[in-house]
Amino acid sequence: MERQIINKKKRVFSLEPNKNPSAVFTRKYTSHLVPALKKLNMNKNSSKQTVKHEVDMALALSAQEFPWSRFLLQKLSSSSNPTTTTSSSSDGIRILERPDKEGGNEEGGIEERLRELKKLLPGGEEMNVEEMLSEIGNYIKCLELQTIALKSIVQDST
Amino acid sequence: MDLSVLDRLKWLQQQQMVSPEFLQILGSDGREELKRVESYLGNNNDELQSFRHFPEFGPDYDTTDGCISRTSSFQMEPVKNSGHNRAISLQNKRKPEGKTEKREKKKIKAEDETESSMKGKTNMSNTETSSEIQKPDYIHVRARRGEATDRHSLAERARREKISKKMKCLQDIVPGCNKVTGKAGMLDEIINYVQSLQQQVEFLSMKLSVINPELECHIDDLSAKQFQAYFTAEADSKQSIMADFRSFPLHQQGSIDYSVMNGTVIISLCSNKSFIIPKFLLLVREVTYFFFLFCRKIRHHQAGKLTHNVFTTA
Repeated sequence: MERQIINKKKRVFSLEPNKNPSAVFTRKYTSHLVPALKKLNMNKNSSKQTVKHEVDMALALSAQEFPWSRFLLQKLSSSSNPTTTTSSSSDGIRILERPDKEGGNEEGGIEERLRELKKLLPGGEEMNVEEMLSEIGNYIKCLELQTIALKSIVQDST
Repeated sequence: MDLSVLDRLKWLQQQQMVSPEFLQILGSDGREELKRVESYLGNNNDELQSFRHFPEFGPDYDTTDGCISRTSSFQMEPVKNSGHNRAISLQNKRKPEGKTEKREKKKIKAEDETESSMKGKTNMSNTETSSEIQKPDYIHVRARRGEATDRHSLAERARREKISKKMKCLQDIVPGCNKVTGKAGMLDEIINYVQSLQQQVEFLSMKLSVINPELECHIDDLSAKQFQAYFTAEADSKQSIMADFRSFPLHQQGSIDYSVMNGTVIISLCSNKSFIIPKFLLLVREVTYFFFLFCRKIRHHQAGKLTHNVFTTA
């Protein structure tokens, strides 16, 4: 098949495999998540932690260099049934509707939106605006990589 | 009182540090005017100690309380020395702007802003100039027309610029932000994007929890090298196989489906559109590329169910 031929040609060996941050993150993430899932699988009786918990934990562990991961870790370890990112989804519907009402009010609207953004980021409410904005960028990238990894795992096992 | 005139003077002196020649330009009567300004300010406020240290304005103050007339000091004669042309042109530039209204605007604004904290008019004006003078220690920002020049608004402005810089970075990260203009719209986009990402993660983890009991994971200890071999440090955008990929989080239009059937690996790549993939997605492609290659490898080595291989970091 064509694809095989293409793949044979494209096998490139990377000299500095640890320099690519996305690859490093993905590697770490899967290395945290899959064993955790296995463990979860095995301890079926005493499964206090949900898959969501493990997923978030893996995310936090793989992104240790960012402040938001520390907050996330704190949240996860403190509560047994954490509602870290799930809580935002209930707010999500509200937020999506609200911009229609606040369309005219630009000045006050920005403050509102910044506050909402702060709520989305773990630990965002303790940061000031500038810090929060830079952390949001990291958080978004890590979330993207996380979704890709999760999707591949899910797809692979179905 | 003509503080903007004084401001200009001080600013230019800071810029050039060629005060004696500068004074020559002013002419003799200009010097007197300057001295008068100095004395006027020097009497009123202790904050203006810095003024006393100006070399050309020695400690000989007259206690006159005259105001500088607006136009007299700065009738600049044409100067042959080219080095001062810049200063002159700067001064002259501000002249045609409509001196009266500019100064009044500035003055009024300064009064409004500092009225709460200041006691008298003179104090207000003095602090305004003192903050101007202290500027050379920090970032030198020229006040725009109609903007106040006190320290608070300068700091505020610097902060706002930092924030807008960061928003621009975020614009590159979040797809679809380029079309929306303005802070509010962009923030909206960012919020929606983060929420959709989080919801996706939630959904995927739910899915994972459903299929988890059936998950057969074998953590093989493949050598780290083998895994790294499939990653390229820099993504080659010419990889034709990747040309049609769209990343997952965006609108679910393209998807990479790895479906494993008995003994065969069918890898179907479906994408609805081909896009110019922004740079950050090139790294994403590497991950998917790895999985793709790996599935292919499994097919050769093992007919059967797909086994999970996890990177084991050494």
